[in-house]
Amino acid sequence: MIEFVVATVTAALLHITPTVVLVKRPDAVRTLLPEAEQFVAGELHLSDADAHRLHEAVDWSPEDGVVVFYTGKQGDRVVGALLFVRVDTPHGPVEVAVGFEPGGSVAGVVVTKATVETRPWIVEALRAGLTEGYRGLKPGDTAAGAAALKEKMASLPDYMAAQVDKGVARALAAYGAFYNHVRA
Amino acid sequence: MVYDLRHADVRVKWLVTCLLATFGIAYGFGGWMVGLYAGFTPKSVATTYGEAEMAMHMPPESTVVVQHPVTIGEMAEEDHHTVDLNLLVQDTHVHVPMYGVIAAALSVVVLGLALSSKAALALVTLLFAAPWLDFAGMWLTKLASPGFAVVTLAGGWAMGVGYLVVTVVALWQMWGRAKGGAV
Repeated sequence: MIEFVVATVTAALLHITPTVVLVKRPDAVRTLLPEAEQFVAGELHLSDADAHRLHEAVDWSPEDGVVVFYTGKQGDRVVGALLFVRVDTPHGPVEVAVGFEPGGSVAGVVVTKATVETRPWIVEALRAGLTEGYRGLKPGDTAAGAAALKEKMASLPDYMAAQVDKGVARALAAYGAFYNHVRA
Repeated sequence: MVYDLRHADVRVKWLVTCLLATFGIAYGFGGWMVGLYAGFTPKSVATTYGEAEMAMHMPPESTVVVQHPVTIGEMAEEDHHTVDLNLLVQDTHVHVPMYGVIAAALSVVVLGLALSSKAALALVTLLFAAPWLDFAGMWLTKLASPGFAVVTLAGGWAMGVGYLVVTVVALWQMWGRAKGGAV
């Protein structure tokens, strides 16, 4: 009951606005894995130790301790993988889809969800070229789209760019640490 | 009949007509919104209002992988709009008073129609019971069973039926040629 009251009051104080879909998930999948004809979902149910490791690395505790990778295939050939990562901000959640090439580098990033409030800031950041800077990143690299565009954007778009950075960093960390479990 | 819309001043008839037209627009957009966010099938309504599984999350001793084929369509299903407990509290708080005002306004129109006492009572009951059913269905779907989604659907359709009956009878009695007795 106390949690419920706290959640309600917190939501009211943070005035979180409704979620809006910027890009539908199927469209994001087609963009990031254009060659894929079949998909396999790999649900990783993290152990306490792995969940703790992920939390320490990128300040992320996936919902229910589950990370889901979607591997795209063309026949028997793997053409890439992607995952959707949610970043909770004081202005509501942002969801990013991060696609990986078979070699393990980032193929692309699509911001799929924002909120009514954050949408214009995200759109401005995207127009400034935010997602282009993520291509080619590999696990261990730093996602620094916000810093690269700091001079080109106002403070709120820059703030949201930093949240997208956080989503990409989480995807890189999860991919680097766990995708081999899925591939095995 | 408390008053008689058939013989009311033309300004009153016009007011009632404008009110019904405005409600009609609101119901039209309401239906559109339901189609966008909840759908019109018991399954989609249950997905919208049903509670996520409450099973206690117990992390495995070592990380476990579960793999299964999925289609792009199945990935899209995860996009379905859902209403959690907090949002349903907010929705109920905002909608129920407004539904009450709408039902009351339509009921005032009913009181001016040439209907038998029983028919008017039945219509007023329908106008108020429909939103009760609508929200009772949402809460029962969330707290008891997804099977109660049909109650929400029944409530939604009942609201539409109530509005249509009042509108058709009112427009006919106010502007139509027939000036007959009570139905």
